[in-house]
Amino acid sequence: MKILLAEDDFASRKFMDKQLSRYGECDVMVDGEEAVDAFMMALEDGEPYDLACLDVMMPVMDGYQVLKAIRDIEAQKGIPKSKRVKVIMTTALNDERNVKMAFELGCEAYAGKPIDMEKFEKVLNKLGLI
Amino acid sequence: MAEEFNTESMLDLFLYESGQLLEKLEGIILEKQDADCFDDADINEIFRVMHTIKGSSGVLMYENITKVTHKLEDVFYYLRESHPDNVPHMELVEKVLAVSDFVTGELDKLKNGDTPDGDEKQLVEDLDVFLGRLKGEIKNQGIQMPQANKHVEPTQFYITPVAGDDSHFYRISIHYRSDTQMSNLRAYSATYALKEVAEDLLYTPDDILSNEASADVIVAEGFHMLLQTKSSKEEVIALIDSSEAEEINFDELTKEEYGKALSEFGREEAAMEAAPPAAAKDNGNKEAKKEGPKPGDYVVKTKEAGKGKTLAKNQPKQQSIISVNVEKMDALMDLIGELVIAEAVVLQNPDLKVPGLELSNFQKASGQLSKITTELQDVIMSMRMMPLTNTFQKMRRIVFDVSRKLGKDIELEVIGENTEVDKNIIEHITDPLMHLVRNSVDHGIEEDPADRTSVGKPSKGKITLEAKNEGGKVYISVKDDGKGLNRDKLYQKALDKGLIENKPISEFTDKEIFRFITLPGFSTKEEVTEYSGRGVGMDVVVKNIQSISGRLDISSVEFEGSEMTLVIPLTLAIINGIVVQVGNSPFVIETASIKEFVRVGEDSLISEPSGEEYIVLRGECYPFIRLNERYDLPDSVDKIEEGIIVVLEHEGSQVCVLIDKLLQEQEIVVKPIPPYVRKVKGLSGCTQLGDGSIALILDIAGLLMHDGERR
Repeated sequence: MKILLAEDDFASRKFMDKQLSRYGECDVMVDGEEAVDAFMMALEDGEPYDLACLDVMMPVMDGYQVLKAIRDIEAQKGIPKSKRVKVIMTTALNDERNVKMAFELGCEAYAGKPIDMEKFEKVLNKLGLI
Repeated sequence: MAEEFNTESMLDLFLYESGQLLEKLEGIILEKQDADCFDDADINEIFRVMHTIKGSSGVLMYENITKVTHKLEDVFYYLRESHPDNVPHMELVEKVLAVSDFVTGELDKLKNGDTPDGDEKQLVEDLDVFLGRLKGEIKNQGIQMPQANKHVEPTQFYITPVAGDDSHFYRISIHYRSDTQMSNLRAYSATYALKEVAEDLLYTPDDILSNEASADVIVAEGFHMLLQTKSSKEEVIALIDSSEAEEINFDELTKEEYGKALSEFGREEAAMEAAPPAAAKDNGNKEAKKEGPKPGDYVVKTKEAGKGKTLAKNQPKQQSIISVNVEKMDALMDLIGELVIAEAVVLQNPDLKVPGLELSNFQKASGQLSKITTELQDVIMSMRMMPLTNTFQKMRRIVFDVSRKLGKDIELEVIGENTEVDKNIIEHITDPLMHLVRNSVDHGIEEDPADRTSVGKPSKGKITLEAKNEGGKVYISVKDDGKGLNRDKLYQKALDKGLIENKPISEFTDKEIFRFITLPGFSTKEEVTEYSGRGVGMDVVVKNIQSISGRLDISSVEFEGSEMTLVIPLTLAIINGIVVQVGNSPFVIETASIKEFVRVGEDSLISEPSGEEYIVLRGECYPFIRLNERYDLPDSVDKIEEGIIVVLEHEGSQVCVLIDKLLQEQEIVVKPIPPYVRKVKGLSGCTQLGDGSIALILDIAGLLMHDGERR
């Protein structure tokens, strides 16, 4: 599977990259804009991502903006709901209001940091990714 | 620090909401336990509660909770759709309570930071069997089977962060030798190595790569790091290159210390990630606080060389409810107490007593000040007040459980559950109240309904739990219409156990005899049951209640029932008191315990040869205490015509004390007597008066007890 990882913090990035590489090829971005660019590029190349893991606090665009942008692009291109990229937010912002907002923006899962990898894998399973 | 502020996190909200729903559920169940069946509204409500908990536990992936609630939801789905008759109501009630207990147990585990690992299999199986029978019943009754309850699997998930319990927190300081070259690069390689294992890493100076001058700072002041990691101390040390290092200091910190250290390091972003609501401290932009978060609020400004991350816009926060550490509330309470004292010091300052001072403006201003401090007290008191609803809810459950176990048919009536009491007091009365309720179910209500009908009572027992608020005190009573207390039995028992002096029964009043049951080691029930009868309990109840300056009143009529009433003060911290003077020492007496002030002549005084003295007032004889003798106070009034007699009452007994004069009535902030002063009987605390002097607070119960012992 093809994974997009957006994370600006080096330590987290290293950790997530290592974890996610077990499931597939992982492209790593360091800010929100890059993440949207990468998403767009993959879409145009006809090899869209299966999973996007987005940090929230990032330079240029934050994770919520990236999520919204991704969903908007998908809507504009008429991509059916089942074919949309699965998005997991990864952040230490665990406020209920933040989580709710992310759900409303259309993410599949919201993982609080430090991430519980066991549950993370379960979610991948439930989302039909592995 | 994160712990304290995290109250609005997803998990906390789940715990809070589910807890509320379960409480509501228990409320419905216990209210309808004796009905023949649940009505439609209840079934809908229970279905909805289960559905909600199922849904949210699904999103948070607590599978055992999801499975159990899912099953019960199914049960209620069939009840709702098919309305079958002959549903075994009692069994259903038990099933619902079992599920509620299971979920509550799991929620408690989550609250304690444990994994909710309860085994749901047995419960699910039981529910399956029940559901199977229910479906059979539906078929038998010829009702059309509804379509199977459709479950929508959650499509969005929330992964709760791993509990950071196994994380270690370290403060590491490296001091390099003074001739070390490029110490900033060495420091950088240390941080780089640590990034492998770090969950969080912060260091100072933080511009080690971009600012060459930082090398000098590092050599001079050392290089300091804060590290959060799962690795052990040894693993971390192995990662740090220690060549050229003169000294490496390694401290393990607790989470709290780490949080504090973080803020000392001054990293806003860290404080923010650890505790989002703390970010609300941004001073300006008040209107923005009312909005929820929006995409774009969390854009991180590109790092400037050497600067930590900052957010483009501080996140706006709205909080209609905040949870506050009780310690902080207590601290505020103390401070307000100090303020009340300080106010008295100002308003009653001796400097104001200079004759001829024009004080009318001062009086106006001081009136305003008094008004505000009084309001301030009211507000802090109201912040600490909580209704007794939850406590009473627990009692419902106890009555239900115990009466079922004992096979007694008992109805519980609850009155005044919205009465509000100081939070500290609620904590203290829950256990005693639980004990009283159990006692009433176990000992109070007759075992054999025939015993009840034979004296003309309904066969169903009744327990009334009542709370009311009167004159600064809260009365909580547990009343049963059971067999009541038997005077002779109690007397005989106390005598047999050697708990009382050998006096004929006629010398004891009813109240005195009833109070025997609060003596340690007393229990009238022959055999010990699971719930009560161990003879410990009532004395503990009384001790607990006394520790919050309350008392227990017992009244009873044989064959008609008994009533146990807890009388507790609304609050412990500020009392209304009267300041009196004996010799040169001021004393405070709580206004509520004063019956009257009188002046009497020498002829009312009776002196026994043993030295005891009594005062006769309107034909009644009261024990008499001279405070000046008791506490060795010089220069006080000795003749009783010159002083004032104060009649004090506590729990129905009276005592008279002699004082020199009355000073004033005022709000008294009770302070404990400092531990370096030996505990003195008859004194419960102290306070500071307006002129700065310390007054001792008389403890009436202590005076009476002391008086009793002396005899």
